[in-house]
Amino acid sequence: MGVPGHRLDRMFNPKVVAVIGDKGPGYMWLHNNLPLTERGGRLYSVQVDEKEVPGIEALGLQNFKSVLEVPEPIDYALVAVPRQVAPYVLKDLIAAGAGGAGFFTSGFAETGEELGIRLQAQLAEMAREANFNLVGPNCMGLYLPRAGVRFSADAPVTDAGEIGFLSQSGTHGIMFSLVAAANGMYISKCASFGNAVVLDVSDYLEYLMLDDETRVIGMYVEGVKDGRRFFTTLKEACRRKPVVVWKGGQTEAGARATMSHTGSLAAPQAVWDGMMRQCGALTTNNLDETVDVMKMLLRAKPLRGDGMALLAQTGGQSVSITDAFAKAGLQVPRFTDATYALLGEFFNIVGGSYQNPLDMAGTIQGNMETLDRVLRIVEADPNVDGMAMELSAMFAARQWKAKPETLDATIATLAGHIARSEKPFVVILHPAHEAEYVASIQPKFNDAGVPVFPSFERAAAAYRRALEFARTRAG
Amino acid sequence: MSFEAVLAQARAEGRTLLTEVEAKSLLQEAGVPVAATLLARTREEAQAAAEQVGFPVVLKIVSPDIVHKSDVGGVKLNLQDREAVGAAFDEVVANAERAVPGARITGVAVQHMAPQGTEVIVGMTTDPQFGPVLMFGLGGIMVEVLKDVSFRLVPLEEKDAQQMIDEIKGRPVLSGVRGQPPADIEALKRTILKVSEFVQAHPEVKELDLNPVFAYPDGALAVDARMVIAEA
Repeated sequence: MGVPGHRLDRMFNPKVVAVIGDKGPGYMWLHNNLPLTERGGRLYSVQVDEKEVPGIEALGLQNFKSVLEVPEPIDYALVAVPRQVAPYVLKDLIAAGAGGAGFFTSGFAETGEELGIRLQAQLAEMAREANFNLVGPNCMGLYLPRAGVRFSADAPVTDAGEIGFLSQSGTHGIMFSLVAAANGMYISKCASFGNAVVLDVSDYLEYLMLDDETRVIGMYVEGVKDGRRFFTTLKEACRRKPVVVWKGGQTEAGARATMSHTGSLAAPQAVWDGMMRQCGALTTNNLDETVDVMKMLLRAKPLRGDGMALLAQTGGQSVSITDAFAKAGLQVPRFTDATYALLGEFFNIVGGSYQNPLDMAGTIQGNMETLDRVLRIVEADPNVDGMAMELSAMFAARQWKAKPETLDATIATLAGHIARSEKPFVVILHPAHEAEYVASIQPKFNDAGVPVFPSFERAAAAYRRALEFARTRAG
Repeated sequence: MSFEAVLAQARAEGRTLLTEVEAKSLLQEAGVPVAATLLARTREEAQAAAEQVGFPVVLKIVSPDIVHKSDVGGVKLNLQDREAVGAAFDEVVANAERAVPGARITGVAVQHMAPQGTEVIVGMTTDPQFGPVLMFGLGGIMVEVLKDVSFRLVPLEEKDAQQMIDEIKGRPVLSGVRGQPPADIEALKRTILKVSEFVQAHPEVKELDLNPVFAYPDGALAVDARMVIAEA
C-alpha cells in the first residue's frame, strides 16, 4: 500500500506518530490517534507543561519534553501548539527528520494580521528550505483510517478505504469522511490542508493518483495556488482514476486589465468550468452531490447509456420517479414487445402497470420470487441501460420492523440482482415518516453493496453526473 | 515580418496593441486562416493593394490612437473598384483626422471583403491563475448579450476543440438552421487548434480576439483580429 519513494509516502503510511502540544481535559488529538496503538503503531506525546503530564500518562502514553527526545523517528506529527511556538516545533521536527507534520495550530495569514502573516511566512520558509512536508497550518491534518491516524474521534478505523479525499476545509474533510462512512464508503487517505503554505492540493493529488489503495479521489477546493500545476496534475490524475471536484466559493478574479473582448468574458467560474471538462473531472456543488456521485462510481456497474427502467411501488411514485429522471435528462424508453409479453403473463394491471415506469406493489405483494422475476425480465430488455427502483418506507417500514427477515430478503434479492447484472442498478428509499428507522437499516444496504439514495432527485442527478463522466471518458 | 520583428517594432513604439495588419500577418504565418489584409500608406498604395487582395474590399483606418475605427468613420465597406478605393482612402483619413485631431495615422488597412458566413468568435486571454485560455462562441448577439462562450486552457487537444464547440448553447446554429448549410466544424476546430499552438509558441501574446470568424460550409476565415502583447 502506498507509493514507495514518493516524498509523502512516509507520512501517509505512518508507524510512529507524535502529538505535540495537546491539552487536557479532553486531549482531543491524543484520543483521535489512540487507534494507532491497536494497529501496530506507536503514539507519543510531546508536551512541556508539567500539569498535563499525568493526564497524558493516564492514557497509557509516554510524554516527552521535546520532539528531539522522542526515541524513534517520527513519521507524522500533529502539532497543536500556540502559534508563537510553532516555528520552534517545526525546527525540531526538521532536525529530527520527521516524515511530515500537520499543523492544527491556527492564527496565521487567515487572520489578516501582521504577526500571523509573519509567522506563516517563517514556517513556510523553514519548511521549504528543508524540503519538509508541512500540512496546513490552520488545518485538521491527515486522516489515515488504515494506520489509525484520525482528525475526529467519530471517524472509523478501517482497512476498507477506497476514497482519497483532499479538503481545504477541515469541517468538509471530516464531514465528508463521516457521511461517506454512513453510506458504507470509506476513506483511504484524507488530507485537510488549510492554508497550504508548502504542500498544496496538487502535491496531495499527485500522491493519491499513484496510491494503489485509492480507487477514486474527491476534493473540496476554494482556490489553488499554482493554477498551471493544478491543471496538469488534475489532468494526469483523471487519466488514472475518477476525480470528483467540489468547488466552494467564488474563484478569485485577480487583478487584470483587459483590452480584449475575450478578456472581459473570461469570468473565473467559466474558465474553471472549462478546465474541469478539459481535465475530465467530475464536478459537484455540495456535500450531498459529492457523496452521491461517489456512490455511483463505487457501487454501481459502469454506466453505459441513458435508457432507464423505472420501478416504483405505486402510481403516484411512478409519475414522480419519471419526472425526476426525465428532468435530469435521462430517457424512459418503451420496453420491447417481448418484455411486455413476459410481464403481461403475471402482472396485475388493476391498480398497477407494467409500462415503463412500473407500478408494481400490487403485483409483487411482498413476494421476493415475483420481484426477482420482474427484475430479470426488465434487466434483459435491450432498451434498458440501467435501472432505478423505489423501496417505500411508508408502506414497508411497519412490516420490516415486525419481521426483519422480510427486509433481509428484500435486500438479498436486490443484491443478487446486482451481482448477476452488468447494468447499473440503484435504489431509492425515501425516509418518509421513519427517518430514524431508515437511517438504522442503512448499514444493511451498505454491507450488501446496494446503492441507496434518499430521493428520486438525488439518485437521478448522481446518475446523470456519472453517465456524463462515463461518456467523457469514453471520448 | 517575423513575430520577433513585429514585437520589437511595437515595443519600440511603446505599443502593446498590434495593428490589425500586424496581427493578421502573424496569424496567417501561423496557419490561422485570415482575410488577406495589406497596409497602404497612400491613395495609390491602397488602390494597388485592393487589386492584390481582390475586389470587393474593405478599408479601415490604422492608427495607434484610434481603437474604435467605425465610431470615427474610419471604415468603408464593399468597395468595388479603384475609383471607389481612392475616394474611400481620402475619406477615412479625413474622418480620422477630424475625429481625433493629432492622431498618428499609420495608413489604411485594405482587406478583401469576405462573403458573409456564420459569425463566431475565437479568442484568447491570460487568466491570472491559469495562464493562457482560449474562448469560443457564436458572434454577434450570442456573445454580447448571452455570453454563450466556452473556455479551455492552452494547450488544447483535438477533443478540447470539439468539446468547446459542442458545449455552447447556440451549437445548433452551426448545424444549419432555417435552410442554412451546416458550418465546417473541422475548419473551426483547426482554427482553434492553430490559435492554441500560436499562443503556446508565443507567451508574449496576452490577449487575442478573432472577431468575427466567418464559418462557411467549407472552411473558416478570420475577418478581424486584435492582438495584445505583454509590456517589455
